[in-house]
Amino acid sequence: MRFIKTREEDLEENYLELHYDEIDEETAAVLERLRPALKYIEGTTDGKRLTVPLADMYYFETVDRKTFGYTKNSCVEVKETLQGIIDEYEKVGFVRISKSAVVNLYKIKKLQGDLNMRTLIFLKNDECLVMNRGYRAEFYAALNKLQGRKKA
Amino acid sequence: MKIINRNNFISIVCVSFTLIVCGKLLFEKATGFTDIYYTENIFMCLGISVLATAILALHYYLQHLPFVPVVIGQYLLLLAVIFGGIWTLGHFTENAPSAYRDMFISVSIPYVIGAIVYYASFFMQIKKANEVFMNLDQNE
Repeated sequence: MRFIKTREEDLEENYLELHYDEIDEETAAVLERLRPALKYIEGTTDGKRLTVPLADMYYFETVDRKTFGYTKNSCVEVKETLQGIIDEYEKVGFVRISKSAVVNLYKIKKLQGDLNMRTLIFLKNDECLVMNRGYRAEFYAALNKLQGRKKA
Repeated sequence: MKIINRNNFISIVCVSFTLIVCGKLLFEKATGFTDIYYTENIFMCLGISVLATAILALHYYLQHLPFVPVVIGQYLLLLAVIFGGIWTLGHFTENAPSAYRDMFISVSIPYVIGAIVYYASFFMQIKKANEVFMNLDQNE
């Protein structure tokens, strides 16, 4: 199977296109790995139902037993619990950073430590989240896994 | 993640005890010092290993609290228990005149070194993670 990456300026949305005669084992495996990343998540905002690509989600947060998902500049209430999100989407880069938040590793710009060993997570939309010390091991394990997948 | 748990507690105590005793013996050999309280001090080393491991195991339960007060609190608790132990032992055997000072140094040096290593590893880990995020950005 060949992989061709083409840069197109001014493209509205990135897309993947698969050319095939038969779906062989190798292609099926690639599709299987892509499936969760290309999923959409359902939610409501201002009483309207909408679906958002999972890859657009920056982080999820629980407030008053409700789960909210945040994209670059919007917020949707979703049905899933944080544990459900981790169980389902851990493979595509979602990791728990506190009791009430799950972040998308692909949306992190940088980390910063403070004197009390809390890790500040700066997202690409310039929001800042705080990771508790208790979730550090889990976070770095997920990051190492993701790095391993990138190298492979 | 719980680093010190029921399954590895004794192993950690044993490793710490071995390292402390080896350090003590090497130091004595190098300086030509003869320890007249050899047996008592060996048991003291064992006691310190058990105590320090037990106190460090508490760290897991204190992760929601700020790090600096937790580390200082654990250090003070460790010192208090050790000084309490020396004071209690003083009722049964004769303590060296410098017992408190010696124990303070023996506990503080490894504790401070451990805390510095832990602190440095935290910032190193962040630096490494930032490199990963930078690479992810470049790959996109």
